Amino acid sequence: MPFSELDTAAVARTLSQIAEQPEDVVDAFFERREDVELPPEDEGPGLRVWREEGFAVRLVREGRTWLATRDAIDGRPFAEALRQVARAFSAASYPEPSLRLPPDETPAAAPELAELPAAVNRALRAHHVGFPVRYTVRRHRRFVQVVGPRLVPAAQSEVFYSVTADGSWGRWGALFPRLDGGVAEMISSALAGLFRARQAPAPAPFRGIAVLAPSVVAVVLHEAVAHALEADVLAQGGNPESAVGVAMAAESLDVLDDPGAAPEGVRRTTDDEGSPVFRRWLLRGGVVEQPLADALWARTSPVLVPGAGRRGSRHLPPGPRSSHLELLAGETDEAGLLAGADEGYHLGETSRGSLDPLSGEFTLQLPYARRIRRGSLAETVGPCILRGRVADLLTRVTAVGRPSYPAGAGWCAKGGQKLPVWATAPALRLEGVEITPGGMPG
Amino acid sequence: MTMVAVTPEHQETLVALVRRGWPDAEVFLKKGRSRRLELSAFTQTSIFAQEQAWAVRAGHHRGSFFAAGTGEPDPAGPWPEPTGRALRLPEPAMVLPWNEPSDFDAPLIGEREGLRLLESLGRELASELPGARLLSASLEDGSSESEIANSRGLRARTRARVATLFLEAAGPGRPAPTASVYLAVREARKINPPALARRLADRLAVTAQGAPPERDRGEILLAPAVAVRLLAGLVPLLVGPKAGGLISGLRDHRGRIGSEKLTLIDNGRLSGGTLEAPVDGEGVPTREAVLVEQGFFRQPLLAWWQAETAAGHPSGCTRRAGWRDVPQPGPTHLYVKPDAKIPVVALLGSIAQGYYLIDTTGAGHFDLAEGKFALPVCGFAVEGGRASAPVAGAWLCGRIATFLQGIAAVGRDLTFHPLDGMIGSPTLLVTGLELRG
Repeated sequence: MPFSELDTAAVARTLSQIAEQPEDVVDAFFERREDVELPPEDEGPGLRVWREEGFAVRLVREGRTWLATRDAIDGRPFAEALRQVARAFSAASYPEPSLRLPPDETPAAAPELAELPAAVNRALRAHHVGFPVRYTVRRHRRFVQVVGPRLVPAAQSEVFYSVTADGSWGRWGALFPRLDGGVAEMISSALAGLFRARQAPAPAPFRGIAVLAPSVVAVVLHEAVAHALEADVLAQGGNPESAVGVAMAAESLDVLDDPGAAPEGVRRTTDDEGSPVFRRWLLRGGVVEQPLADALWARTSPVLVPGAGRRGSRHLPPGPRSSHLELLAGETDEAGLLAGADEGYHLGETSRGSLDPLSGEFTLQLPYARRIRRGSLAETVGPCILRGRVADLLTRVTAVGRPSYPAGAGWCAKGGQKLPVWATAPALRLEGVEITPGGMPG
Repeated sequence: MTMVAVTPEHQETLVALVRRGWPDAEVFLKKGRSRRLELSAFTQTSIFAQEQAWAVRAGHHRGSFFAAGTGEPDPAGPWPEPTGRALRLPEPAMVLPWNEPSDFDAPLIGEREGLRLLESLGRELASELPGARLLSASLEDGSSESEIANSRGLRARTRARVATLFLEAAGPGRPAPTASVYLAVREARKINPPALARRLADRLAVTAQGAPPERDRGEILLAPAVAVRLLAGLVPLLVGPKAGGLISGLRDHRGRIGSEKLTLIDNGRLSGGTLEAPVDGEGVPTREAVLVEQGFFRQPLLAWWQAETAAGHPSGCTRRAGWRDVPQPGPTHLYVKPDAKIPVVALLGSIAQGYYLIDTTGAGHFDLAEGKFALPVCGFAVEGGRASAPVAGAWLCGRIATFLQGIAAVGRDLTFHPLDGMIGSPTLLVTGLELRG
């Protein structure tokens, strides 16, 4: 951990000087991050390395937030930043704690990235397809230390990988906690599916049964459950605490946000505000139990508990967001989910999802899908859209699959803060949902 | 901006990179500060950020790397090993005289001043459309200075000043219609709250009351907000050595790709432009490049190294939005040349039956291989030069060639939007496109 030599006690003492009122929230957020990217073969320059560090000092008073940030970790800029956020005389001076971090002298390299493109191409050949693809592979490392005037939680770290593949049929991307042998196979399966579906016609409008693969369920959970239960999103439609106890989904749905159970490498014990994370039941038996809240929103109501504050970087304030969503497995195996569906669609891959927080309208874009005929997978159809109002869509779940899988992950960019989000989920069957053609209208 | 003496930090790092056996080396240093103010119904946030960072590109004939970080570069590294493609760097070139705009020296917007501006936007919106409210408003005002030096002797120093504003609003009624606006100007104080509030109110009112049309053609007036989205979708046809080949399929029998009313220009040193600068992200002098002139395709937008393999003059168009970004060619201020003699009201008055599309309502689809597009839009049906009914939930569809060749008139109200660079257009009167529900 790069923060082992950080004098956190001195920082805490200094912060306590600007916490003048009992309800003030004051903290310092230190981060060091490194991204290493292997770009596509035909794109120069070669290996790309970004290394950055800095801090933010925050004061929250009476619903107003002041944040001062710097691209250096040192005593003088820290004292300057304190002066900027403190609602005190501009001439006030603050101590300059010793804050230097040891320089990052690790090699600017990530040899594990170089193997992946060739491994995916080999795996693609095993699928009996071949087409030009441009791969971009990145390793992301981040170290975070939060310091408050009274508490100094343990430093946190995250390491994960992102892969994007550009082909003539479009772009595909995903996040992985590690680059092991299974990753190449997973990417090649997804690319082969996209390639084979590239000329499939979009389906006609349909209402009926849809079986969602775990990776699609992960996006549904993220958009329709997690975003819908973020305290700031709930506040747009009324009082966030009034959501607690509302039956929002089918009784079979138990959904948690559990950053402590995320894949190794991105597992957390505290959030980006230093609050302990816990196994947060978003939905228990389909009923809202504990919305996502950060320290700021938790102060507005005793039923909101902090621990879900996340920030994309030191330059942006934290907000309530999910980290690792988990849908508890049900009783139905994959064949059981398809059985009994005379007609319907199997949704195996999604390109993006979105939620309109005011209307509750949820949209899931799918690059392709498979028809279900008499309980079996049939022909492939082209781009389509699953849409509906959250409150209606989640009540249409009629079966939860088993087992749960690490269901992939992706970037969430709510409010301009790009954050990785992870999920563990089984497949789901929904009935009476609307699927419309996607792609180019007309 | 002038050719400048290199700073000691630059020189030391440059020398160290060359001594490591990487004869092609470039060092970029940037310092900036910004104030960001965010307002929602429940929170108010003020952020003051100071950034200091660097970026290095270096390599030899067998490979290259890009490294970037906060603070100052350490000449000793650690540096990545060069891999992949070799790096090519520009030679020094004469920079044409350029007067630094005086607003570069204006102070950043103050906390209270910025919050007042955002609050006034909310008030103006409510007065334009009773029941409408701002869901969120985010204003960021920033200034920066950067230096660039490379091992071929190029030295440049430049400054920038940009303010951005993002607004998200909801209208009256349930479910409430929503609309957003994102804009970039050089200085936050130039933002006009009443005009922005009117734009948002129009969008919200049209979305709430409008209905999709039957499939229809006719004369269609595209407000700048719609025209720039179309233009942004066509950028791949205008940039880089392959652009000429891609666009050749759009030529008509006279060799034109667009109507004689269409002149398309990119200019990195556009006077008053938000991204106005004398040099690009590699330190190469910027200049005006005419890409399409009265409907005839003249040349694609080319960086200096691309001009060796394609017909056309390079124009200093390699963008480097920030220190984290690898320099890439692209438009800076790409715009349709306006006609100073034609006010929008005259264009509207000339429509016997058609549509006036005031904004887009989502992302468009562009199939450049098939030459087709579809853009979600809202606006008004027009009869006898007057708006007759609101239109929402509509798609503007057609062939790219039809759009370019169907431009019957251009207005004088050139407006830029921050998209892929700053993309600008006046109001366009087009024929041949289709509006669908």
